[in-house]
Amino acid sequence: MTTRNPMKDQVAIVGLGSTGFTRDGDRSPLAMALAAATEAIRDAGLTAADIDGVVATSEPGADGPEVIAAALGITEATHHTKPTPVAMFSLLDAARAVFTGAADHVLVVTPVVMGPWNSRRAADDPWRRGTRSSILPIPEDAGKAAAYAAWASRYIHEYGASKDPFARIAINSRTNAAHNPLAAIATPLSFGAYDAARMIRDPLNIYDMDLPVDGADAFVLTTAERARALPHHPVLIHAATSGIVGKNDEDQLVGLHRTGQHVVVEQLRRHSDLWIDDIDLFYPYEGFTIITLAWFENCGFCPPGGAESFLREHWNDDAQRIEIDGRIPVNTHGGSLSEGATRGTGHVREAVHQLRGTAGPRQVEGAQAALVTPGGFFFNPQGAVLRRA
Amino acid sequence: MPENREDDQQLIDRFGGHGINRDNAAHFRGRLERRLLMSRCGDCGRWQHPSRPMCPDCWSWNMTPEEVSGRGTIHLLMELHQGPPAEGVDYRDGHPVVTVELEEQPALRFTSTVTADFPDDDLEIGAPVELEWIDRDGTPMPVFRTRSA
Ligand SMILES: [Zn+2]
Repeated sequence: MTTRNPMKDQVAIVGLGSTGFTRDGDRSPLAMALAAATEAIRDAGLTAADIDGVVATSEPGADGPEVIAAALGITEATHHTKPTPVAMFSLLDAARAVFTGAADHVLVVTPVVMGPWNSRRAADDPWRRGTRSSILPIPEDAGKAAAYAAWASRYIHEYGASKDPFARIAINSRTNAAHNPLAAIATPLSFGAYDAARMIRDPLNIYDMDLPVDGADAFVLTTAERARALPHHPVLIHAATSGIVGKNDEDQLVGLHRTGQHVVVEQLRRHSDLWIDDIDLFYPYEGFTIITLAWFENCGFCPPGGAESFLREHWNDDAQRIEIDGRIPVNTHGGSLSEGATRGTGHVREAVHQLRGTAGPRQVEGAQAALVTPGGFFFNPQGAVLRRA
Repeated sequence: MPENREDDQQLIDRFGGHGINRDNAAHFRGRLERRLLMSRCGDCGRWQHPSRPMCPDCWSWNMTPEEVSGRGTIHLLMELHQGPPAEGVDYRDGHPVVTVELEEQPALRFTSTVTADFPDDDLEIGAPVELEWIDRDGTPMPVFRTRSA
């Protein structure tokens, strides 16, 4: 548990690209990765010749960094890795490569691909049938995605919570998606529609979980110093980490009072000069709504079990969205409940857009700092404090 | 014990959907005899699930499969309204999946379903349960039934 953070403010995110996300994709994973990558490199004011690091998330069905490098016409690279999915694993890897001098301009590509394991539509697509998981699913499994419904039941039991705070997370995302052209689903959601929704894994319904989509995000990272010469105002990685507890098998986790989220928050607080009173934007992951309630509580906005009253008190009823202290909006792009299962890349992309002032109709004026917390409870909690240079 | 490839292949074929491997094979062999086996450390006595080759508490490799009582309380509970097809599973009214905290050790848990005649009123977190065996696709499967506390 180190307090050292020599990387503080030394690495900048300077390029963004995204295909947007869809439930009706007809492009290959490589085509999506390349579309996002070329956009991000151009956005950074660079060319393929400048890129000397390629980080390609090891998403099932997606291509490795060697394929991306060849397809983009990158000359040579001295850093090439394929980290586990969920946004910060790849971004942390790229940032550390820049900071250590392994590479100067690192491209991160994070495609997501609907597969026959998570989508009936994808199972009917002959181009996707080859990508198949070797483990056959069984109903009696509290691992993987189902774990979030199982622990949501425990949360409701321990705190006597209602579904109201879950509904507010889902509605907030859909409200904010209205002005995000990248979103797969941007229709507003009402409390009535939420309450009437089809149960998938009771206590979670169809609006409590993100849906599989096709699409890709891409980022370019370089040193804070080089960033000053590039077209956009640099956004610096002030602090960033991932975190797990040792006993993290989904159904063996001791309890929600001690998960990887707590490890992430404690590490960020040791490494960051800025915390929740200093930020202008909050991007808690909401691939499952229960995850978001936990991020609110674990980041210290409210005590354990306090999300229900906190969200009610910080709800803008006219706008139908969360505004912390009337000031800090949450998931301004509509999150994963609107863009789909992007594994938090959208949360990072949107934070960077906001901090450099390129968020268009969603722009929060004067935003200087953002807290981004992708990941869930078990093997992928992570977080970052990003700030405008 | 020498490896018996034919035997191993049969076990793998029967439990292919469960992520069976060398480290948890004894647990699945136990199921065929309707015994719920979990890995226990011969040195510090701690139980471990899922089975792994070394004790995380004392780094002993002296791990042996032992039978648990199967008594415990429901710790996590969900009702699936969709999911993979399986014999005897009807998602229309919600298929219950319970994670039971076993009485052997805090946070030692096993996930399964409950018997078909489990009273709806008893299906809640904290409810006391005990083990029962049913058959699915001709293979024994550990599930839970209600018990008086
Ligand atoms: Zn031991």
